[in-house]
Parts: sequence; structure tokens; C-alpha cells
Amino acid sequence: METKLYVKVLKYLLIVVLALLFLFPIYWMFTMAFKPYAEWTAAGGKIYWVPNHPTFDNFRTIFTRQLRMNPIAGTALRPIVNSLIVSTIGTAIAMIVGTFAAYGISRYKAGGQLPFFLLQLRMFPPIAIIIPIMIMWAFLRMIDTWYGLVVIYGVVTLPFSTWLMKTFFDDIPKELDEAAIVDGCSNFGAFRKVILPLAKGGIASTALFVFILNWSDFLIALVLTDRKWTTIPVHISKLQSALVGQLYGPKAALGVIAIIPPIVFGILIQKYLVRGLTFGAIKK
Amino acid sequence: MANIFLDNLVKRFGKQTAVKNLTLEVKDKEFVAILGPSGCGKTTTMNMISGLLKPDSGRVYFDGRDVTDVPPGKRGVGFVFQNYAVFTHMSVYDNIAFGLRIKKFPTEEIEREVRGVAELLKITHLLGVSASKLSINDMQKVALARSMVTKPKIFLLDEPLSNLDAALRNIMRAELKKIQQELGQTTIYVTHDQVEAMSLADRIAVMNFAVLQQYATPHEVYNKPVNLFVARFIGSPTINFFDALYESGRINMIDFKEGKIELSKRYRNQLNSLLKNNELVVGLRPEHLKVSGKKKNYNLKGQVVSFEPLGSKTIVYMHPDNNQGLIIKSAMESDFKPEIGDKLYLDFKESGLYVFDRKSTELVLKF
Amino acid sequence: MASIKLENITKTYKNVKALDDVSIQIEDGEFFCILGPPGAGKTTLLRIIVGLEKPDHGNVYIGDEIVNDLHPSKRDIAMIFQNLALYPDKSIFDNIAFPLRQQKMDEEIIKEKVTEIAKQLKIDWMLDKLPSQLSGGERQRVAIGRAIVREPKAYLMDEPLSNLDALLRLEMRVSLKELQTKLSETFVYVTHDQVEALSMGDRIAILNKGRIQQIDDPERIYKLPKNMFVATVLGSPPMNFLKCRVEVTGGEYRIIHEGFILSVKDKNAIEVIGKMIGNEEGLVLGIRPEDILLHNFGGKERIEAEIYVTEPLGNETIVDVKIASNVIKVLADSSFEGRPGQKIWIEPKKYKFHFFNTKTGDSIFHTKKETKLEIL
Repeated sequence: METKLYVKVLKYLLIVVLALLFLFPIYWMFTMAFKPYAEWTAAGGKIYWVPNHPTFDNFRTIFTRQLRMNPIAGTALRPIVNSLIVSTIGTAIAMIVGTFAAYGISRYKAGGQLPFFLLQLRMFPPIAIIIPIMIMWAFLRMIDTWYGLVVIYGVVTLPFSTWLMKTFFDDIPKELDEAAIVDGCSNFGAFRKVILPLAKGGIASTALFVFILNWSDFLIALVLTDRKWTTIPVHISKLQSALVGQLYGPKAALGVIAIIPPIVFGILIQKYLVRGLTFGAIKK
Repeated sequence: MANIFLDNLVKRFGKQTAVKNLTLEVKDKEFVAILGPSGCGKTTTMNMISGLLKPDSGRVYFDGRDVTDVPPGKRGVGFVFQNYAVFTHMSVYDNIAFGLRIKKFPTEEIEREVRGVAELLKITHLLGVSASKLSINDMQKVALARSMVTKPKIFLLDEPLSNLDAALRNIMRAELKKIQQELGQTTIYVTHDQVEAMSLADRIAVMNFAVLQQYATPHEVYNKPVNLFVARFIGSPTINFFDALYESGRINMIDFKEGKIELSKRYRNQLNSLLKNNELVVGLRPEHLKVSGKKKNYNLKGQVVSFEPLGSKTIVYMHPDNNQGLIIKSAMESDFKPEIGDKLYLDFKESGLYVFDRKSTELVLKF
Repeated sequence: MASIKLENITKTYKNVKALDDVSIQIEDGEFFCILGPPGAGKTTLLRIIVGLEKPDHGNVYIGDEIVNDLHPSKRDIAMIFQNLALYPDKSIFDNIAFPLRQQKMDEEIIKEKVTEIAKQLKIDWMLDKLPSQLSGGERQRVAIGRAIVREPKAYLMDEPLSNLDALLRLEMRVSLKELQTKLSETFVYVTHDQVEALSMGDRIAILNKGRIQQIDDPERIYKLPKNMFVATVLGSPPMNFLKCRVEVTGGEYRIIHEGFILSVKDKNAIEVIGKMIGNEEGLVLGIRPEDILLHNFGGKERIEAEIYVTEPLGNETIVDVKIASNVIKVLADSSFEGRPGQKIWIEPKKYKFHFFNTKTGDSIFHTKKETKLEIL
């Protein structure tokens, strides 16, 4: 049955509308980052869809101490570095532990029902448990430390990384492990030399996903850091002034900078996100 | 009366033509097999006959009536698919009765018909059983029963035996044939297994690459195949092919230069009048190759490479001395036990010779 | 080169016995086939030999060593899986070289060996391609190459030809048998196709529901099957079975079927069937389709029957005939002509009868040329 023309047009229209809706905030943030103070709000009676007098002032504000209006914020350089460190190490922990665990679950049914329960844990909204965690961390003197954040990030994303990697391993036929073993590999050797290379795509996409989770976390970082180890999301929230209120411009500027690492990460691993890596191994 | 006429059917899928200009006539009460390798267009043809697919051009006629635009449910055909659509949540009885109940037959008649068919297929003892508990073999019988009970005038079967184990397949073949002969339904049977087609069909339509190659009785496709493809596809073990040249009234097989092939005058005359060029392919079926009694006047000579004792006969594989790549199969008595490496001398009769034109691949002569 | 021995192997999965007290002795250099229907336990058996599974009871010997606890990577046995398991992201060269690299062989030597094998198998022109770029038959040869290059003690193959089309299967059968003859290595070949087993095996083990039915060379299994299952598994069309009673009247022993009577005069036969007298289950008479002759007229030793259906196969014709209420198949020449319903007389070859116990299916007697029998 041929789709009627108007149905097709309607579908495309819907897609365009949704696309605009989703892309708009990014567009707004991007333009805001280059707007001077006068154009931040519509207080003057006009909405500036495109900055009239584009400027780098907002970027200067966040990187230098020109923000005399708000002594608490400081420069954004430290939070950017913090975010990079904490997100990367947190992702690494979740990926290393998760990948090994996932292989065990996929091939040896390790843990029985336990892994399934672990995933349920993720269903807990972090906000429910963040206060007890804070108290524990305070007791252990882990507040405002990099390792305090990293541990939580690793643990909280572990169910995701494990489960995602498990599905990727499930898609790789067991016969490949067995062929490698029969060909002379130890169990671990088979994992390292045959299965892991085949899971490259899965590892790449899972790592990206976990990294984004860590990078964009606000609540955990807010509660567990103070001044030294604040991350980008927390820093953005601190960009306020007694006189002017919300500093939209600088916030947008920091937002624009914050988008860059995940995009770069994504581009770097693009070649590993290749489909059909296992095609040809197994006859259908 | 239930004859079928396919008039110049064409079906394309994107750039591929699945069926090319197919014209076929099936007589009333005839059992026709559509045979060919996977992808040849047989299932597509079947789907056009049943109405599940519309041809891009051409018409389908049942009993002279143009049914090309009639939906499958209204064509009065019974189907059995390869993957049986048996309703697993119902009992066997309900499965079989399904079609009749939809047509609102009275209960006593349904009872009679269902039991009748069940007896025919020997599944009366399964009527009360839930269909989910059946073995694959029984499921196939239920699927057959379901389509038979509505007494369609035309039966369409798409590889119905392919999921059965070998032993049951043998038995069901004979049963199917017997049932069709008794009930007299016009039947079209799609398969890739030439043994099935040969054993069951009154006529076989051999297809390859969307084109009908030959439409004839089993005897004819076996003994007078229209080209190399049909000759090779029918018959197990497959026919042997040899490149040859026809020179001064003699057939010279390129790989058996020393072999002498004596042709009768009658044969030579016929060949002379039918041949268009002298590059030939000679075909010989394994059962026509016999061990030669004469050490001097044999037809083929070679070395034994392997042999397969199949119980009722032994297949011997050999290759000629100067062409190790060419393997020739001959069917011998079951007590023939060669050693690998033995020299073998084979003879054949003129009546076993198939001569094909090497360029056109068509059959030139077969006595 | 090595012999393989399985001693009383039992393996259970979730209360189902996949293998039940299986014992097999495979000789060094033998082409040994394991034949059975799907689900018989053939793959489990192979996996136990190579070490991917551990038996619940019993011992596995390679050569004279017990290897029950030896890791598969150390057993020096090559296995070709049913779905080949070629490494999809590695080139054909790397696929074949893989096992040699595990042995930490010198790269130069590896290159030599791999190219040599590739040449033999005619896949040397595709060494830098990926498995996904090859056809089914080519991938098969790569899998074989990967096994051969290791020069292992034995080769295990799990239905390696089942996914190939009929023509290619035939070619590969011949090449595999040639290969084994050339290498003189121990091959253990699992299949459900009786033609493959009959044509390639030096000896065949018939497996059903986890139990060994018979181990013998193809000819003996075909001519002297130990039970009805084995008799059905080999031979196409399969053996015909007719249920009969045993009676003795006035000192004369008779095997009685609805459509005919056999008078048994052979001492050995009488001894065996004598035990079945009065037994209401009687015995089963088996005869293969190719061991029956057809005649258009009655006569001595001929049984009256009716043609049920004919199946012309081209090179021969299967004639289904009805004797009383049974239908049996007879192999006839392709020139046979007959219509359903037509009367016909069959003459079974008396020295090719097989008697089976109705309840257990075990064979109790196989007639020979010397056996004295008469058809009345």
C-alpha cells in the first residue's frame, strides 16, 4: 500500500518540528555565550535571537578574576580540569570492572541472579541516598576530594556499564571463545585476544555513555564537593551576582565549553562504533 | 474441474526479476511439482498462484476464471506452508475444524469431515491432544489435515516435508501421493529436492534464475533434459559431463583421448543432421557406466579416487589420468570394492549418451 | 597421531541424560564417524573429547593419558565447529596463523606453513581478506586450514558440511576423505547424514538418546544391524518392518504374517525364535527395499501384493506395495511399469531377512545363505 502523500508530508513536518524543539536550547545557549550583558534578557523590551554586538566578554569573565561581582566563583579553569579528571577516572573504573564482570556474566553466568539485582539498584533515584552517602563520606573525610567523587561515579555507573557490556558480549557467539581455547588460548587469553577486540564497538559506545553520565552529573558533585573539587555543572550553578542575579552570559559560555569534551571523545572513538564486526564468523 | 493456467507471469522485486514470463498449464487432478534451487523463483510463483503476491504483469486463471485480482481467501485453495501455521493454543481437533467453523458448517458435518481426514492421515489418536504438545512430524500432518478438510479443489504445498526427519519424509512421500491419487485434487508442490519432485509429480516444472527451463514428466526430464542445467539438477548422483569434439563422425572426449566410442550409423546420421557446431558436452549418468570387460576397447579409463558404499549400491569416484580435476562418478553393485588408486576401465552404451551443444547448453540428441 | 578412548562417559543436563554410559575406542589414524539424529548427544560427545565440557562420570583418554582435567588448549586437538567460528575481524592469514601464534612459533616459520597450507587448499589468493568476504565453501576450507596447520593429534568435526548446498557437499566429501587418507590422522566426524557416514567412515558409532547403539564398520552395520533403530538409520529408503507371530504346528515352526507364512527349518533360527512362541507380541521381520524382487506372476516363494503407489526417481523406481494391511517399499529398475491397484508378486531374498524383538527392538537373527526357510 503506497503511503499517501499528505501522510508523508505530515511525517516530515513532525520530524522538523521535533528537531527544532530539541536543537533550540543548544542554539540559544550558543548565542547567549556571545551576547553582551545588555542582550542577556528581554528586560530592554527586545529579544535578541542573534547577538547584535557579539563579544568574548563572557568567556573572559569566567576565566579571569574579572568577576568582581562574585568572589565565590573564582575562575572556571579549575572546575573544567576537575570535571575532566573525575569523569575520566570514574568512567575508567566503571568500564574496567564492568567489562570483566560482564564477560563473566555472559559466558559463565557468574553471580547467578545477583547481577540482575544490581541493575535494579540503578532504579534508585540518587537523591534518595545522597544524604546518607554524604554523611558517610564526611566521616571518612572524603568530602571535596577527587577520590571521593571518583568512587561514587564508578559505583553509580557500574550497573550500566556491566549490563551494556553484557549485551554486547552476548551478541558475540560463544563458539569464538571456544575456537580460541581449542586453538591453544587460556580462558583469559581467549577473552583478551579474540573477544575483546570484537567488543571494541561496544566498549567505545558504553564508555561514551558512561562518560556523559559522569560529566553531566550535578547532584552528587554538589553534595560531595565544596570548593577545591567542584565540577563544571556545580560551578555553573554558582555563577550569580548580588547585583545582577543569574549571570546568563558566563553560564552559557561555560556551557559551550562543557559540550566540547564529550563531542571530542565521540569523534575520537567513531571508528570503533562500526557495525557488523562479527559478520562472517558464524554461518547462519 | 480445477485446472490452472498461468499466462506470462512476471514479478520483480526492485531491480531483480524473480519470475520471468512464466506460462504454465496444470490439468485437472494433476500433481505438478515446481522444482529448482533456492532463489529460482518457485516460491514467488506459488505466492502468485495463491494470491499472496500480485504479478507485475500476466494473469492467473482457475478453471478459465481470471483470479488475478481475487484475494487468497476467496480463491478456494488449500495451503500447506513450510512452517505449518498450526494453532498451538488449540487441540488438534479444533485446529482441523477451524476452517469449517469459519465457514459455518453444521457441527455433525464438521465432526464427520474432521474424523475422516484424521483417519486418512492416521492421526485419529491425536484429536484431543493440544497442538503445542505435538512432535514436528505430527504437526505437519495436522497442517495437512487442516487444509485438506475444507476440500479445496486446488492444493498448494510449499516444501511441506522439509522439516521432517529422513525416515518420516520417505513414508510421507508415498502417503501424500496416495492421498492425492485418491482425492484427485489438483496439486502444486514446490520443492528444491529433485527426489521428491520425481517421486510425486505427474509433471515437473524445472526453474532456474526466474525462467522455466522445462515442463515435462519425470521420465522426460530425466531422459530428455532440455539443457545442461536440467540434466545436472535431476538425478542423484548427478550426471557426469565431459567436454568433447565431433570430428569425422566420431565423438572425441577431450580427457579420454585413448577411449574409443563406437557409434552406430543411425546415431551418426541423426547427430549429423541435428548438430549445429562440433563443440559438445557429453553427458553420462553414473548408472550407465559399467566396468569394461575389454582391456583394449574400453571407453573411459581412470584412477579410483574414492568410493561410497551406500548399501544398495556403491558409488565409485575416479579421475582420468591427465585431468586430476575432473571427477567421474559411476554406480556399481554394492559388492564392488575397489582400492584407491586402482585403474578402472569403464564402458557405456550408446543409449546412455546425452549430447549437448557446448555453446547453447541445449540437448542435441539422446537415444 | 593418537588414539582416543572414552570410558563409561555420562553427562547430565537438568535431569536429562545427554550421554549415558558411552564407551568408544577410536584407533590412531582412523576416520571415525558418529551418526545419530539431532539431540542424540553427538555434539556433547565431541565437546567432551576436546575438553569444552567435563563428563559427570567416566574417563577420556588421548593416547594413553587420562585427560579429564586437562584444559582444552593443552589437549592438542583441533575442532571444526558446525558454524565454523572463524575470527571475523582477522584476515584469513591471521585466522589460520592464530593457533601457531599461541604456540609462540617464529613468525617466519608461521608464514611458511600458512602459505603452504593455503596453497594446498587453494585459498592462497585470499589470505588478506576477511571471512565475511568469502563464500560458504571457501570459509569451510579456511576452517580446515586452521585445523591442519597445527598438526594436532586428532581432528574433530561437528557436521562441517551441513550448511552447504548439495553439489558443494558432494565435492567437499570427496576432498575431506582424500585429505584424511593423505594425512593419515585420526578424524572424528559427527553427522546426522547417513550417506556421509557410510561413505567416509572406517567405522561408525550410532548414537541415539545418549546411548551407543552399535559401533562397527559401515558394511557390518548395514548388513547386521543390532536393533531396529540402527536398521532404520542406514539405508535409503530405510528397511521395511513387518509384524509377525510365531507358531509351532506339528513340529513345524512358522512365522506368520497376514499376507504370508514362513516355514522355518533352520536349527539356529528355530532355537532363537522358539522362545517367542505364544508371545503375543511376536517378532518383527525386517527386509531392505533393494532385497526384494518384483514379478508379474505368482510362483514358488512369491508373495501376493498390490501396488499402492510408484515413485519414479529416474535411475530407479520405488514401488510401494501393500501386503494385507502393511505397505512396504521395494526398489525396482527404472523401467518398471505398474499402476496403483495392480496385483503384483514380490520375492524377498531369503538370506536377507532380519528378525527383531518387538518390544526391545533388538535384533535376534539375521538370515544367511545357509538358512533354511520356505515361503508358503
